[in-house]
Amino acid sequence: MIRNYIKIAFRNILRKKVFSLINIIGLAVGMAACFLIFLYVKFELSYDSFHTKAPHIYRLVTDVKTPSETIHAGITAWPFAPNIKDDFPEVEFFTRVQQTSMLITKDDKKFQEDRVLWADSSFFKMFDFRLIKGDPDKVLKDLFTVVLSKTAAKKYFGDADPMGQSISLYDYYPAAITGVMEDIPENSQIKADIIVSMSSLTQTIIPGLDEQWSNFDAVSYLQLKPGVDPRALERKFPAFLERRNGKEMEKSQMFFTLYLEPLKFVYLFSKRESNIEKGNITNVYIFSVIAAFILLIAYINFINLTTARSVERAKEVGIRKVVGAEKNQLVKQFIGESLMLSLFAFVLALILTALLLPLFNQLAGKTISTGIFDNYNYLLLLFTLAIGAGLMAGIYPALVLSSFKPITVLKGRFATSSKGIVLRKGLVITQFAISIALIIGTIVVYKQMTFMRSHDLGFAKDQMLVLDTQGDAAKDALTQEISKLPGIKGTTLSSSVPGGSHSTAYSEIENSNGDLQVANLDLFFVDFDYIPQYQIQLVAGRPFSREFGMDTTEAMVINEAAVKYFGYPSAHKAIGKKFKQWGREGKIIGVVKDFHFKSLQEQIEPLSMRIEPSRSYLISVQVAAGNLPASIAAIESKWKTLISNRPFSYYFLNEFFDRQYRSEERFGKLFLNFAILAILISCLGLLGLASYSTIQRTKEIGIRKVMGASINNIIGLLSKDFLLLILIAFFIAAPLAWYFMNQWLQDFAYRINIAWWVFVVAGLLALLTALITISFQAIKAALMNPVKSLRTE
Amino acid sequence: MIELQHISKWYNVGGKPVFILKDINLKVKEGEFISIMGPSGSGKSTLLNIVGMLDMPNEGAYHFFGESVYNLKDKHRNELYKKNIGFIFQAYHLIDELTVYENIETPLLYQNVKSSERKAIVADMLDKFNIVGKKDLFPSQLSGGQQQLVGIVRALIAKPKLLLADEPTGNLNTAQGEEIMQLFQQLNQEEGVTIIQVTHSEKNASYGNRIINLLDGRVEPSLQNASH
Repeated sequence: MIRNYIKIAFRNILRKKVFSLINIIGLAVGMAACFLIFLYVKFELSYDSFHTKAPHIYRLVTDVKTPSETIHAGITAWPFAPNIKDDFPEVEFFTRVQQTSMLITKDDKKFQEDRVLWADSSFFKMFDFRLIKGDPDKVLKDLFTVVLSKTAAKKYFGDADPMGQSISLYDYYPAAITGVMEDIPENSQIKADIIVSMSSLTQTIIPGLDEQWSNFDAVSYLQLKPGVDPRALERKFPAFLERRNGKEMEKSQMFFTLYLEPLKFVYLFSKRESNIEKGNITNVYIFSVIAAFILLIAYINFINLTTARSVERAKEVGIRKVVGAEKNQLVKQFIGESLMLSLFAFVLALILTALLLPLFNQLAGKTISTGIFDNYNYLLLLFTLAIGAGLMAGIYPALVLSSFKPITVLKGRFATSSKGIVLRKGLVITQFAISIALIIGTIVVYKQMTFMRSHDLGFAKDQMLVLDTQGDAAKDALTQEISKLPGIKGTTLSSSVPGGSHSTAYSEIENSNGDLQVANLDLFFVDFDYIPQYQIQLVAGRPFSREFGMDTTEAMVINEAAVKYFGYPSAHKAIGKKFKQWGREGKIIGVVKDFHFKSLQEQIEPLSMRIEPSRSYLISVQVAAGNLPASIAAIESKWKTLISNRPFSYYFLNEFFDRQYRSEERFGKLFLNFAILAILISCLGLLGLASYSTIQRTKEIGIRKVMGASINNIIGLLSKDFLLLILIAFFIAAPLAWYFMNQWLQDFAYRINIAWWVFVVAGLLALLTALITISFQAIKAALMNPVKSLRTE
Repeated sequence: MIELQHISKWYNVGGKPVFILKDINLKVKEGEFISIMGPSGSGKSTLLNIVGMLDMPNEGAYHFFGESVYNLKDKHRNELYKKNIGFIFQAYHLIDELTVYENIETPLLYQNVKSSERKAIVADMLDKFNIVGKKDLFPSQLSGGQQQLVGIVRALIAKPKLLLADEPTGNLNTAQGEEIMQLFQQLNQEEGVTIIQVTHSEKNASYGNRIINLLDGRVEPSLQNASH
């Protein structure tokens, strides 16, 4: 019996090659897309879950309340964690980490390393980063001890044993290798190749850091003893801070509140800023929904195409019933067939997934999986998913087919119930609504991307090269030398460039009431040439000038946002007002027009600018349009003569600024791909339905042709119904897409409005593809010889 | 064997019933070979389908080997049908996707006959009807007469007591038709299979031993009496 079913299923697949191919490919593509997204979601959810002690590890975070605002920080001041460990027996271990970039040398090897981490000595006891060599209790205990990843060890020592050897940090401090660890997995929030003992930083490089209660820069983790309630511990923190730091908080008017975030919560859910990698739960949700939708579309297709074929299978059903088949036997047969199809599709989907995985990794910007066969549990899960869905999709066609009345179908006349048609139409509407919504989404994402790239940022970002001297002593000399080169329009030294990192300073500024108001101001250290070279417009007062000797210490330029923040009605009113900031006092000399020093996702915040050569490490070079490679080569040769110990590297400011949108760009690309996929699969489904309905109406078409209907009349007749479906789908999709894309746009402080034409374009696009799809069938039907089609009766 | 009592079937058109069959009473004994005749639309096929349990009347009773068919549960009726009735159609109605062998085998599948047993039965029948050489061909590769032969073999494979044929020679030429009729006669006389066929042809009808004439859904009384 089963062999008979399988045989018949096989022969059916082979006999209707095109149809089977459409059906299997549609299903396989849908499954593959779903699998990929599934792998991505699994990967995102797996962050930091490999730490066996994860349930007991918490990130310590701080709310900082100043008189004007509350900052939700993902970081802590340096002394918090060690003192909490001292004061509370509930805490088993603490580890502070800070990611940094430094020049590392070993003999003639010299690298600017970006993946360097300062970490306290319990690091390897708390986290499950596996040491290949070295004792987790000892590796980071002493000053200037280093653990290298396998990759880093290979890079610096080749095949030789690095243990006990030394490298030089900042090309200055010798440090001993005390351990080698496995490379940190991709799904770890903490990423590093070189881990250096924290004491080196807090005791030797910046002595006294452990006592600076308002210097926020460390990401702190606490491991609580089993059974400790984190909420109860949190409630004890205010008293702790009061005891340890109460006076200082009162004096600076900055009040701290500490919270504990479970380790597994941090990556995806925490909204707090810190310098470690962050996920986005919204994206995970969005992609899960898209995956479900695509699978849904693929299965709707499957249902539609299979039921469409029921006309052809009707005769077989009739015969089988006449020779004694019972309904449930037929149901089993047809479900078996759909299972077999979905099994084929599953195998094909696995192949597709395996082939597309590298591409998807590239799109996602990280290696979510190296291969689907890495983990048999995944395979099993995907298999269950495929079979379950195959069953679901098979049930409806099976029931329809098996309920045909034998004598009616054998006589060749049979009308399907109007209920079935309504269902199938509903399914097509669903498919197209999803497709149209995805098209709208894609257009909106791309519009926003273009908007951000072309938006006037309020400063000159083109033809601007940025060199990071890392604070090398020769930076001023280098700047001088570069400015003398031909093809260079200007140079300026600063601590920060737009789109990059900058300090936030505790400041006191005289406000419109004449009081000194405390605020956390964003701070750029610049030089005299910065404002003119960046073409930042001045609104009031004057820019920094070499003619005023005190400008280097007692002058501040603020932006319009700051003017508003301190309550001045106009920029001119703020000129000459007092400021205190990081040990300097002086007057505001100028106000600049707001420029986007952060990405367009964020509002322009109040900004202060001061001159401080000792903290200005970045050289911005404005090059003339023209021979760029020559200019870069010339700059490089100057660098090599003046800063020979550091590798030369540079970036273009416009690219650097746009890198902030990389995740949005990736999002947009993925969105586009899935939208195309959705509409493709939907069209396959439409093709199925169109062919079905054409067969149903063969007689009608024949009669109309005999009565004199033209080919165009017939095509119009057949297309009309479907276009109506697309129209309905459009009216369902448009408001939903509008709502969700508006939500998505809320993440951007500067955003586009969704224009009406976006909807029109999306609707027309769907309509057009549908029209092309339908016309294949319609033209075929219209060209049919009426004598032939009438004979089928 | 078969007893139909007061069988009526009608459709409602515009609120009025239009009768296809009206108060049919019919008795068939085992071993009979009956031909149902009548003009188009007289209800021949409907009557045959009702006898074959593929269709239900609106009114009346049907006893098959003493069992009241319409009082049986679906499952039992299907069982009764599977065991006792074979159907042959004008358009052969073979499953295009299956070979001759598999088409013939299908009824046995639905009766849960064991694989080895099935093989023996099918081989036996193929041999008997001289179509062993055709067993791996698909229906589309056979002539009409050969297809109908396969249809008959399929109808007989489960050794039914009653063979129902709806214009079995309708699509065949005279020579092929005659062969089929002779086969029917042989089955009836040598193996005692009860046969009821619907036919337009007087000549085909003459192979049987009783003719029932239908007109407008009624059995023509004169001819019925004459045949008794």
